[in-house]
Amino acid sequence: MLKLGQADKTQEILMLLPMSIGFVLFVLYPIVWVIRWAWFNYDGYTTPVFIGMENFVRAFTRDPAFWGSLRNTLFIAVVKLLIEIPLAMLLATLLTSKIRGSTLFRVSYFLPSVLSIAVVGLIFSIMFSSYNGIINAMLRALGFIKKNINFLGRRDNAFFVIILVSLWTSFGLNMIYFIMGYQNIPKDLYECASIDGANVVQQFFHITVPLVAPVLQLVIMLSFLGTLRMTDLILVLTNGAPGGSTEVVMTYIFKYFFQYGEAQTRTQFGYASALAVITAIILAVVTLLYLRLSRRMKQIQE
Amino acid sequence: MNKAIKIPLRILLYLFLLIMLVFALFPVVYILLSSFKTNSEILVGGTNIIPTTWRLENYVEAWNLANFGTLTMNSVFYTFFVVIGCIITGTVAGYVFSRGKSVFTRIMYRMVLFSMFISIGTLALYPQLRVARVIGVSGTLWGPILIRVLGMNATQVFIATGNVDQIPRELDEAARIDGCGFFSTFVRIIFPLLKPLVATIGLLAFRIAWSDYLLPYVFTISKRATWTLVVGLVNLKSGGESASSWNLMFAGIGISILPMTLVYLILNKFFIAGLTEGAVKG
Repeated sequence: MLKLGQADKTQEILMLLPMSIGFVLFVLYPIVWVIRWAWFNYDGYTTPVFIGMENFVRAFTRDPAFWGSLRNTLFIAVVKLLIEIPLAMLLATLLTSKIRGSTLFRVSYFLPSVLSIAVVGLIFSIMFSSYNGIINAMLRALGFIKKNINFLGRRDNAFFVIILVSLWTSFGLNMIYFIMGYQNIPKDLYECASIDGANVVQQFFHITVPLVAPVLQLVIMLSFLGTLRMTDLILVLTNGAPGGSTEVVMTYIFKYFFQYGEAQTRTQFGYASALAVITAIILAVVTLLYLRLSRRMKQIQE
Repeated sequence: MNKAIKIPLRILLYLFLLIMLVFALFPVVYILLSSFKTNSEILVGGTNIIPTTWRLENYVEAWNLANFGTLTMNSVFYTFFVVIGCIITGTVAGYVFSRGKSVFTRIMYRMVLFSMFISIGTLALYPQLRVARVIGVSGTLWGPILIRVLGMNATQVFIATGNVDQIPRELDEAARIDGCGFFSTFVRIIFPLLKPLVATIGLLAFRIAWSDYLLPYVFTISKRATWTLVVGLVNLKSGGESASSWNLMFAGIGISILPMTLVYLILNKFFIAGLTEGAVKG
């Protein structure tokens, strides 16, 4: 009997071994690698030199572009949240009430979520093209504008397009989360409320909102972290143009690791690693803070 | 509420839903229709959505001349191995994490959980590439395949573990009594019960692999012959070669989004369930 148990354990470890090796090589090792080289001046060509805190000092004191990219990221994340959450909640409310063709709407709204972000970036850059894009053509035909708008070549316009596109890719997914949340609310609550004379708006704010609070928290966190990790869309849509003003954290650091696009920057693995460490810490702090906050909110509710 | 207010309100509601429907579908419909336009019609632009002359040859030319045949085959190759691989590693990991008792298993589970908090996303690509060079799989799609299949995607692991947890343990015990070991219990009893999980993991892996950009890009930058569809498409745009052949690029986009869209339209329930479940568990 004891021998059989031992055989089971061996089988168990052997089954998990390939993935464990993969995990160590492709998930753990990169983290260790980044933490190690963050202390070196290392560009891949010359011999690495240990420089202590220098990379971090540089990031904190002499690299406004990094903090600019962080500001851009936060700006996109906040504006996106402010539009996306009410929109997704509203759509979910409408589609769970008696609406004909509810499935058609659901399936259509979710479609953008399954497409490749890079290809989506490509499609939108074609649509918003400043000389033959359909958006410019339509705005002109409707008489809103006389001259074509340079959507992706100017900072403010580019941010508008970036936020619009990232909204496009995720509003359907977030709507589904809220629909799932609504389905867990007992129907008789609404009946009681309407007997008591509460109108639709009051019902929404006094029953729906408090009861989908957990879903709301989940959506806020996923959306926020998703934006912090945004890379492909920016690379394809603007690649930081004009002049690096639409760079986000991930694309900014990515370009110290790899040459991308026209920018002829020389790779700086050491400095890139230091920036990666800083970003990882920011991401972890946001996640932990968020988990804390939502736990406290839950306690207050109970 | 009286009917006089209710009817206009309902019309307004449907109008809003319809506007959002157009918002969601327009880019896809526009690009698919435009992929049948002539190059000059695309170059001129304008508000035309439906092609004035339908040019089906765009697809033939894109496939044969613009290399999209090779790109598509590479994408199919990449997607195939990622899907098959993820189904195997996903279900196995789910089973081991759900039923396993060894210290090793518990430590690995903790580490996968912990890796969610310190993920550096795309910033791990460079060290991953270094590892691939050492193993000898850089410059091929095998590197990205190994990363996607063996990297223990946290979302996948949690969905799988949650699913296996729901299978009653009495089944395992019965199998034990019949002489099955840990491994053969999985193969004979548990795996056959995991069809919904296989579908979910398969679809998630299909979506990730077919849409993947930066990972295959970084691994195959200098090896054009191994590029996937998405990598080739983005390069066509940024490479500045597009001006002379917009129609071919549009057809390429069509080739890239049509399979995904069709699979989604047929299996939308599983897709929606899989994607949302993934995030909730993860």
